[in-house]
Amino acid sequence: MSTIKADPYPWPYNGDLRPENTVLIVIDMQTDFCGEGGYVDKMGYDLSLTRAPIEPIKATMAAMRARGYHIMHTREGHRPDLSDLSPNKRWRSQQIGAGIGDPGPCGRILVRGEPGWDIIAELAPAPGEAIVDKPGKGSFCATDLELMLRTKGIENIVLSGITTDVCVHTTMREANDRGFECLLLEDCCGATDKSNHDAAIKMVKMQGGVFGSVSDSTTFISQLP
Amino acid sequence: MNMIAAEPFDFPLDPACAALIIIDMQRDFLEPGGFGAALGNDVSLVQAIVPTVRALLDAARACGLTIIHTRECHRPDLSDCPSAKRDRGNPALRIGDPGPMGRILIAGEPGAEIVPELAALPGEHVIDKPGKGAFYATGLGDLLAEGGITQLIFAGVTTEVCVQTTMREANDRGFDCLLAEDATASYFPEFRRATLEMIRAQGAIVGWTAPVELIASALKPEF
Repeated sequence: MSTIKADPYPWPYNGDLRPENTVLIVIDMQTDFCGEGGYVDKMGYDLSLTRAPIEPIKATMAAMRARGYHIMHTREGHRPDLSDLSPNKRWRSQQIGAGIGDPGPCGRILVRGEPGWDIIAELAPAPGEAIVDKPGKGSFCATDLELMLRTKGIENIVLSGITTDVCVHTTMREANDRGFECLLLEDCCGATDKSNHDAAIKMVKMQGGVFGSVSDSTTFISQLP
Repeated sequence: MNMIAAEPFDFPLDPACAALIIIDMQRDFLEPGGFGAALGNDVSLVQAIVPTVRALLDAARACGLTIIHTRECHRPDLSDCPSAKRDRGNPALRIGDPGPMGRILIAGEPGAEIVPELAALPGEHVIDKPGKGAFYATGLGDLLAEGGITQLIFAGVTTEVCVQTTMREANDRGFDCLLAEDATASYFPEFRRATLEMIRAQGAIVGWTAPVELIASALKPEF
């Protein structure tokens, strides 16, 4: 039995925390979202907010790799012919001047294979770590993530990445409904809007942990078995 | 096509391919003496939207829209309830325990029923869901595909949990999602406000929002 000090409850709920049944998912740490000249940068948001989680994720990833935990990465992006891009998602991205599939400073925006779409060098996946390419905000919709998790016998998911209120939250909600036990590492996430980040963290903790529990990288690393 | 002056963009409503989805307006969440109240929540906040949801429902019915109601509940043997959901945080009241209105969140129990003011009429769909989202482990996706539905109007409770989870699922599946701002509520008003902002952020990253009055007038038949 080992748990991580977390809010609102020590995580995981059943104390069954082992490298074999636990994965760190690093969500969308892509140049388009946290690199200079990427999609978020082009939208005029403060890049420091989405870059803040880089060092905490790096430390968490190193600690989990050293102990043999599973690590997975996700990338939001679409096929070059945009056949997996819903018309309303494309339209909305165009309204804010960063149309998906349009030429951007780092290649076509959110298109698979383009420089802006890839994971930033600081958090590059190690050999053997799965990368999930997803067309939506959630990592489960239209991907093989759930199949891989079930096949590996994973029960606990540690969530990190960006942005807190969009892709991290959507993925956490999907995982929670599927019965996975979720922990969000607060300093390993970031959002383009600080108040949305804060509200997203608070929402997880309500009602006894409606979507799971919340901790931070320092606590997590020091207590990780 | 009826244009609704929604946020952050106008929403082009096409009633022929739109559905109204009312999330979890169940007795256990809304009524004094239910599960929500037993947990110490102020149910007057969620009870307050019943007339507004009813006004939206009436407008949708008059327009002949597809109507879908959801209920969060589990099978009596709890075979569809993950233990992480039931046991998390060692709660005083667990799903399946005897509660003030029958076994908590169990299909068929009085507390799991939709409040009488908003009860489903024959021909309207009722989706029982084991999660917060209405797509996961339900027939909702197939039902919408068969009906040629591409637009969803959302109402119900609670804004930040089940309404928002379902809206995120629908958004990833390509639906145009419009949330009726005053027909959704939370036990925590600040979460309702934060959710509306998250939905509209970054160019409607999850969807659109508009008040019931504007949605209802767009649903009025044109003469």
